[in-house]
Amino acid sequence: MRRRGALLRLHTALVFAFLYAPIAILVLFSFNETSQTAVWRGFTFEWYRKLLSDEIILGTVRNSLIVGAAATVIATVLGTLAALAMGRYRFRGEGLTRNLLYLPIIIPEIVVGAALVTFFGVAGLRLSLVTVVIAHVVFSISYVAIVVRARLSGFDRSLEEAALDLGARPVQTFFRVTLPLILPGVVAGALLVFTISIDDYVITSFVAGVGATTLPLQIYSMLKVGVTPEVNAVSTLLLATTVVLILFAQRLQQPPPERSEG
Amino acid sequence: MSADAGGGRSRAAYPLILPTWAVLGVFFLLPLCVLFVISFAQRGTYGGLKPIEDLGAYVLSGKFLSHYARSLHPIYLQIFWRSIWMAVVTTIVCLLVSYPVAYYVAIVAPPRRRNLLLGLVVIPFWTSFLIRTYAWMFILRTEGLANRLLMAAGLTSHPLELLYNDFSVLIGLVYGELPFMILPLYASLEKLDRSLLEASADLGAPARETFRRVTIPMTAPGIAAGIVLVFVPSLGQFIVSDLLGGAKTILAGNLVQNQFAVARNKPFGSAVAFELTAAVLLLLLGYAAYTRRRGEDVLL
Amino acid sequence: MTGRAARVVLGAAAALVICLGAPSCGDRADSPPYPGPGEKRLNLYIWSEYLPQEVIDEFTRRTGIAVHYDLYDSNESVLEKLQSGVADYDLVVPSDYMVRILAYLKLLRPIDRARLPAFANLDPRFLNQDFDPGNRYSMPYVWGTTGYGYDRRRARGTPDSWAPLFDPANRGQILMLDDMRECFAVALKHLGHSLNSTDPKVLREAADLLKKQKPLVKTYNSGDYENILAAGDVWFAHGYNGQIAKVAAREPEKLGYVLPREGATIWMDSVCLPRGARNVESIYAFLNYVLDPEVDARIVNGISYASANVPARKFIKPEILNDPAVYPPDSALEKCEFIKDIGDATELMDEYWTEIKAQ
Repeated sequence: MRRRGALLRLHTALVFAFLYAPIAILVLFSFNETSQTAVWRGFTFEWYRKLLSDEIILGTVRNSLIVGAAATVIATVLGTLAALAMGRYRFRGEGLTRNLLYLPIIIPEIVVGAALVTFFGVAGLRLSLVTVVIAHVVFSISYVAIVVRARLSGFDRSLEEAALDLGARPVQTFFRVTLPLILPGVVAGALLVFTISIDDYVITSFVAGVGATTLPLQIYSMLKVGVTPEVNAVSTLLLATTVVLILFAQRLQQPPPERSEG
Repeated sequence: MSADAGGGRSRAAYPLILPTWAVLGVFFLLPLCVLFVISFAQRGTYGGLKPIEDLGAYVLSGKFLSHYARSLHPIYLQIFWRSIWMAVVTTIVCLLVSYPVAYYVAIVAPPRRRNLLLGLVVIPFWTSFLIRTYAWMFILRTEGLANRLLMAAGLTSHPLELLYNDFSVLIGLVYGELPFMILPLYASLEKLDRSLLEASADLGAPARETFRRVTIPMTAPGIAAGIVLVFVPSLGQFIVSDLLGGAKTILAGNLVQNQFAVARNKPFGSAVAFELTAAVLLLLLGYAAYTRRRGEDVLL
Repeated sequence: MTGRAARVVLGAAAALVICLGAPSCGDRADSPPYPGPGEKRLNLYIWSEYLPQEVIDEFTRRTGIAVHYDLYDSNESVLEKLQSGVADYDLVVPSDYMVRILAYLKLLRPIDRARLPAFANLDPRFLNQDFDPGNRYSMPYVWGTTGYGYDRRRARGTPDSWAPLFDPANRGQILMLDDMRECFAVALKHLGHSLNSTDPKVLREAADLLKKQKPLVKTYNSGDYENILAAGDVWFAHGYNGQIAKVAAREPEKLGYVLPREGATIWMDSVCLPRGARNVESIYAFLNYVLDPEVDARIVNGISYASANVPARKFIKPEILNDPAVYPPDSALEKCEFIKDIGDATELMDEYWTEIKAQ
């Protein structure tokens, strides 16, 4: 058993090395002295300094954050409601709804992107940041629904029933009993949406309009033309930020408290 | 399966589910329908659509199926075959690589470490996919890290062609999909009842038998979920084959993207897109039937 | 604890987003897409690396007009965006054959020559081309050729034809543009035909040649081929002259550019006005700015592509003016052709291209 454990541990370590090798390179070369990304020349913060004054990249970061925030809020609300509907009630059209919620995940991104841009064209809807938000909401709702749904299963309804018995109105019960208890799931779903939105390239490339270039679009065009380590710097910063956010969310994901907390 | 609470049909669900139906109906189903209709049209001379004079004659002549017919030509079938093959290999490699990791984290590792390890699995996922793919170009190129290490270690005498071929595309795909295989496997393994494993050992089964006859069957839902979550995106991808494959191979995703972006043939691109979707939906139906039989759906 | 903490996180995140998203942060590259009355703005859709940042900045300094630009790396993107009818650009810079297509599809608005006094600066040899007789819709921006760059240390002698790109001895050391028309142009020229041939037999011949070539090709790349060449990953890189000239200028003993004697693509990118362009004042201000000889020279010096502006030559760096890659002698251009639209033969070529890529 000990020997097998060691083998497993070795395999896992190797896999982690595989997972992190590109990341390590990415971060390391954001400090590279030269813009020729092939060779290491020396340590410098120059790229970070350049980044902070690069209006173009900062603009796209801003776009990504705006789209991410808007899509997260809308998709989280809709997805949570959907999860509640799926998780607690039996209703006509339930099976159909489940399939509907699976579709955005299952259907290849390229098909969704192509469909959306064609639709916007036919409907005469000008491409802009708004169309990007719409697109992001469309593919995000399902993720939130799945995550919150997972949180709902095994949910103890006796707490809600107790509240209702004690005279609370259903809406009150929802906000003061249900929501706090499913909140870790909701937050996890929101974080998932935010991350996917921030990094989405395929669908966004179809539906972004003038001035709506998001960070992944910018990165892709830079990759095609010739990368400067500024791109590495942006990614490193984003990575650091998301790690912090995740650690924070981890603390929120503690198993639901026994009684009266929250 | 779906609702946990007992009770019959409830009207209370409708206001909850209506907004989602509205948004997805208008901005998801409707566009797909539009795309579907377009797949029956013809390309105009400069992209766009050719106006159809006589709808009746157009339908009766069977011309409206021209794109679907065209996609059955050997050259396109070859592309589909390669895409499926690539996705299958990616899925298998992912499964083989991920299972031991998930097993280690769920069963062997000390419980207090689990969250940390899971976090470590997920963190790479939080960086830009494009950049990570680009980093692989960096590692695999002729004068890149991999070759330098191999030569320094004396394992090879001259640089290997590690980039711009099927090998690099496979690496890129597996790399991107790994978390999607590890997580469902972990979820399944974590729920595994240890006492069953112990009982099997107590009854004299060697570890390999226990694994084959107890662990694997009991984690089948996780395996199925992982397979779906990895196979589907791999089938439709085009970025990895574009960047890491040197644009030398054309897979299904490249074909669709190409028709929309370069060849300006929306109808044909739509037809291929829908065939891709059909293949994926078949898989989903299979998965749904499978979970219905087992009585448990891992996701919804 | 969980509820309160979550609210804090959400609140902080919201505050962060609002703060970063607020337009008052004075970022002109990301002002709201729809200008208010009186707000001066210009939306450009242009090839990557076609406009040095300092030229843009100077324009804004002189006129107070905020410039926003999006980049593309293929003509088809321009067609796509303009055809969708829902993109919002004031100026685009398509290549020759694309100008013709856009004009034919009525996606462009005519240029009002009366508002461009400096138009006379442009070399008449570049005006009145087939794709836009009388220059109703376009104003030449830069022009160039599509040859290939090569590593001097690896090539035997000084190459002067397309042959090395088809030579099995160079297996795995060749880069081709990921562009159907350009690759076919190479094959057609090497076989001695016109690169605008629509003869199915000829096209088949070219396709077969490209199919034979594919195993020799390391990668197809239209974006940063010059960097791949400079990094030593390939010995021969099919590409546009300006970008190759740029890296060759940095290491002239190592890299060179060839305009093959069989002939190659000559192309010209022109500035056009989309029909739906809104900031018309800004457009003409910008066009006049670019026609200024000093400004034009700064562009040429920055991007290493030749312009059609005659007085600008006074201000162009001599290394560039005398670089045959950027300003080739007329004799070298004799067998060069512009890419023209080949109509329905495009679909045939696309099928061949798919065949080539799929093998």
